[in-house]
Amino acid sequence: MSYAPPDAAVFIERVAADPCCAAITGEEGLDEALESRAPVIFMLRGNGLSLAPLVRQIHAADKLVAVHVDLVGGLRADRASVEWLAGAGVDAVISSHGQLMPAIRHGGMTAIHRLLLVRRSQLDTAVSAIGRSAPNIVEILPGVLLPSVVGMMPRFDVPVLAGGFVRTEAEVHAILSAGALGVTTSSQALWGTMSA
Amino acid sequence: MPEPNGPPRLPSILIASDGHHTVNAPPDLDAGVLVRDTDLATLVHRAASDCPPQAVDIDSVAGLGSDDYALDFVTGRLAIPIVLTRRPQLAGRAAARGNIGLLHVFAYDSTGLRRSLEGHPRSAGVGSVVTPGLVILHLREDELAAIPRPILAYGLIDTVEDARACLAVADAIVIRPGLAAKLAAELVGAGARG
Repeated sequence: MSYAPPDAAVFIERVAADPCCAAITGEEGLDEALESRAPVIFMLRGNGLSLAPLVRQIHAADKLVAVHVDLVGGLRADRASVEWLAGAGVDAVISSHGQLMPAIRHGGMTAIHRLLLVRRSQLDTAVSAIGRSAPNIVEILPGVLLPSVVGMMPRFDVPVLAGGFVRTEAEVHAILSAGALGVTTSSQALWGTMSA
Repeated sequence: MPEPNGPPRLPSILIASDGHHTVNAPPDLDAGVLVRDTDLATLVHRAASDCPPQAVDIDSVAGLGSDDYALDFVTGRLAIPIVLTRRPQLAGRAAARGNIGLLHVFAYDSTGLRRSLEGHPRSAGVGSVVTPGLVILHLREDELAAIPRPILAYGLIDTVEDARACLAVADAIVIRPGLAAKLAAELVGAGARG
């Protein structure tokens, strides 16, 4: 029987319950992430063509897995690679390409639209793109700036994750206080440390 | 800030402009104008005006290429000595010709920053544009040390406090005209009080 990823609402609940998610680059850090309390593992690099065994390991540890389709190796960010990730059992797909969000949702996975904070003058364009793509979650990078820029941005209709240069508990608290659902961080000391 | 008798120098503050309106750097600030997100005709018009820009984000100028011809045109005919670009070779060539080449370095997360720096030419005269600039306040010392200077912090620097903090870490910052006016007013006020 093929794997069916959870609804986006379930994915969001898992993050909300334990908002410090593990961000890893391929197999590096995987063992530590599996042993941590982090509910979701975000795979930001690695070989996108040989993910299935890793995904099974992550599921066996009762965790969910999100894969960044733009950044993993071996894949082009398009509809076919999204189908490939669905076949590998991935629960959520991250991309900066808004046009992929419908395909990700169609594949039963949680669609995460990554928003890169560049300049204030480009925020409106980026926010409009997110409005059109209708993701399940928005991920903002660099997340450590979220408390500083939250006043510049309109409220999103979907939950926000923050990733990038998040290294301390104080930063996590500030980000969560700014309204984020959770953080993605490669700082292992933070993984799973903020259980609700 | 033009240096007619010497090599170009990066002012502490670059005021961002799309070139469609006159932007004058406040005389009390060590500041110049950066033209970005514009088109070729507007850039030429602004360069010929009585308040020409000191810097251009060459990849953001519609109609302008990112090759040697474009570089010659910008630094020679338009006399703009500071060139921001995403292309390492172009930044290197700008510096080799006696100008300041600044390569965009994207700092969205630590892994991305490392990868962005892999392509840096690290040659004399080639510095870095850290995007978004405000994140420079959150970089570790080793991360900062790995970024070739001069460092221009560009993006999301929106308050006087952020500008001052970023200037303490970077060599220069990019800000909007309104913030430049606030910084100048604060400087003048401090001078009057002191």
